[in-house]
Amino acid sequence: MIMANKGYIKTWLSNWWDVFSHELKDIFSDGGVLLIFFVAGLAYPLLYNVVYLNGILSETPVAVVDEAACPDSRRFIREIDATREVEVAAKCINMAEAEKLMQERKVNGIVYFPKDFGEKLARNETAKLSLYADMSSFLYYKNAMIATNFVMLHEIGQIQMERYSLAGMTEQEASQVVKPLGYEDNNPYNRAFDYSFFLISAILMIIIQQTMFYGMSLLVGTRKERNRNFSSLPAHYGKYGIMRIVLGRGGAYWLLYLGIGMYIAYIVPAIFGLPQRGQFMDILALLLFYITDCVFFSMTWCTLITRRESVFLLFLAMSPICLFLTGCSWPTVAFPKFWKVFSYIFPSTFGVQGYMNLSTAGGDIAAAGFQMRTMVLQTIIYFLLACASINLENWVTRHIDTIRDKRDDLAQKVGIDRKEDARIIKGA
Amino acid sequence: MDNWQRILQVARREHRIIRNRPLYFMGSVGVIVFCAIFFLTFLHGGLPHDIPIGLVDEDYSTTSRNFCQQLDATQLGEVIHYDSFAAAREDMISGKISAVCVIPEGMNEDIQAFRQPKITFYINGLYFVSGALAWKDLLTMVNLTNGAVQRQVFRAKGYNDDQIMGLIRPIDIDTHQIGNVTTNYNYYLTGILLPGILEMIVILVFIYSLGAELKFSTSRHLLETSGNSIVTALSGKLMVWTLIFSVIGFALIMLLYHWLHFPMKGIVFNMYIAMFLMILASEALAIFIIEMLPVPRLALSIGALYSVLGFSLSGFTLPIEAMPPYIQGLAAAFPLRHYYLFYVQEAIFGAGFAGWWKEVIWLLCFLFVPLLGLKRLKNAYIHQNFPKE
Repeated sequence: MIMANKGYIKTWLSNWWDVFSHELKDIFSDGGVLLIFFVAGLAYPLLYNVVYLNGILSETPVAVVDEAACPDSRRFIREIDATREVEVAAKCINMAEAEKLMQERKVNGIVYFPKDFGEKLARNETAKLSLYADMSSFLYYKNAMIATNFVMLHEIGQIQMERYSLAGMTEQEASQVVKPLGYEDNNPYNRAFDYSFFLISAILMIIIQQTMFYGMSLLVGTRKERNRNFSSLPAHYGKYGIMRIVLGRGGAYWLLYLGIGMYIAYIVPAIFGLPQRGQFMDILALLLFYITDCVFFSMTWCTLITRRESVFLLFLAMSPICLFLTGCSWPTVAFPKFWKVFSYIFPSTFGVQGYMNLSTAGGDIAAAGFQMRTMVLQTIIYFLLACASINLENWVTRHIDTIRDKRDDLAQKVGIDRKEDARIIKGA
Repeated sequence: MDNWQRILQVARREHRIIRNRPLYFMGSVGVIVFCAIFFLTFLHGGLPHDIPIGLVDEDYSTTSRNFCQQLDATQLGEVIHYDSFAAAREDMISGKISAVCVIPEGMNEDIQAFRQPKITFYINGLYFVSGALAWKDLLTMVNLTNGAVQRQVFRAKGYNDDQIMGLIRPIDIDTHQIGNVTTNYNYYLTGILLPGILEMIVILVFIYSLGAELKFSTSRHLLETSGNSIVTALSGKLMVWTLIFSVIGFALIMLLYHWLHFPMKGIVFNMYIAMFLMILASEALAIFIIEMLPVPRLALSIGALYSVLGFSLSGFTLPIEAMPPYIQGLAAAFPLRHYYLFYVQEAIFGAGFAGWWKEVIWLLCFLFVPLLGLKRLKNAYIHQNFPKE
């Protein structure tokens, strides 16, 4: 041993410190990485919040075609207009006119009362009205549906009262029969089905994972290019043990992301008034688990990156995929089996769920218990994989010439003349 | 050598570059194939079913059991029984179930005696789709239960079923979903998400292709090949890449509308026009970004940040109208937004040219954007005076 006199632990710590500080120095001297960590990591959460600031679609314009022109249909129209969801933007003479307005996107729905609407009501029959909803965004459909259905239920109650009285019931009897079973609905975490509450919570956590992965891959890619080999280890790391390198490099990102993560998890929601119902310490615990997990996740997968820019070309499309895999929009129970297993690869799947349960819904630490346990398991697996991947990179570095020969052989077999190609691409 | 020959020469050179670096193939064809498989199989179900709904039955009567069984029998819901509200609430807050429904003690008796008992639901609206569907399912069940009780009352009074229908259901709504009859999320999301991914690929790969000339210091040779003309050089590269991207784009349209029969009110052929124009517009943007920032890594980072935003600002999930006004204007700067509006006119309304000509003009406007910085890019290619990484 070179430093036998200092003792194993001291040597270990001083080596760890070397790796750790070297990594930090590299991060801060690389403009591209800083752009990803600080501009994307700090500004992107703000940008998304601005985009989804209102989060609720109100007053969706609909056209009304009232061929019945009776007091009942007119009252129905007034009541639709009074809802939050829908606004009666046009009253049309016939369907053709309304259809034209919908095609021009001046309205996103049509409510049609047929000629016999009033007559049927007068004859104690079921009167039908039609709703045509533009499905180009499901939120138009949802608004038109909710507004017309609630007005319908309200109207039904009124009309039933009249009819039951006619059927010989007293007023009290009628009101009891109209609604024998009542209901009370609560949507405690997201009262108005606000789009921003669920989507922003998910996006915030995904930004942590993705920016860390992209930034780390940029740095690893640069090193591989500069060293002209596939190793992510600068030459002087060679003498250290793998644990020291993994923990030292990981520590640098961990420290940075503790800051960025706390900004994203606590400050951004506060700026935009998103619900923060959780306990500070619970969320911090979740964040620590999540960031640790993300560090080893990124370290493992960035082994695949051999050039600086290639991470964007290969893995940018994973960001929307990760968003779907969290189950915040498409429910987890509806995942096909394979993709459910696939979702276990990403820390974000559990980080997002945990963050929503703790911070947005306001559960106690037990509400994220499953997610935290899984993240611990993930962390252990990814830590081992990160160690293995550094071993692999070292092996590749030692055998780089053999590998290049193999590649050239393969190219020749497929019929690619690399020398000729190089001449055409670069010139003589 | 005339200009055409030079363009061909550049194209031939580009072909060699692509062949030599597997990254190009993986980043374009590889990514789109993976994403197509992902979204099409992931959303294959179209509409989620068997959403877990927690049920706390404090009544234990025939009515409450009947309510549970019927709720369980709906396609949307699946009932999970809990003994206490506390346990159910814990599972709801941790996202295991989407809603909790509490049936109060004495519900059966109260209904019989017309004391109007109340069922209480709690919905977890943070898991958006499942929350909304569970809510809808529970509301439907309560209305059906009410109908059943009313029917019993009127049967006892001697009304026949036709009369009863008129009494308990005076109004009915007949809903028509224009452009997506079955509320199929696969049609709704995949039809825009995949072109969106393609937009992202076009921007990134083309920026990389132009930036790699700087990165590997081959830009002077590129200009030599093109007879010192940046327009010729770009034309040659565009020729190859437009061909590749168009093949991918047309394959997507073919996959979605011919093979998988996504709803299409208009003519599928017009979607090829939309796709082709979106690809051209995205290429123009890629050229513009590298012109303004002839540093490959910065240009790529900007391209990445820009193209990810395209999904939100196309307005196919949360409509643009619901965003702040200054964001609404920004949406026009994304080719995907115009593709989406084109798609709405063609696929949903079948309006044809009269419906989408404005989007075509918008997409064509993108083609003029690169003209602003041609000179700047040429200088960068000659002097190679920007940081290379």
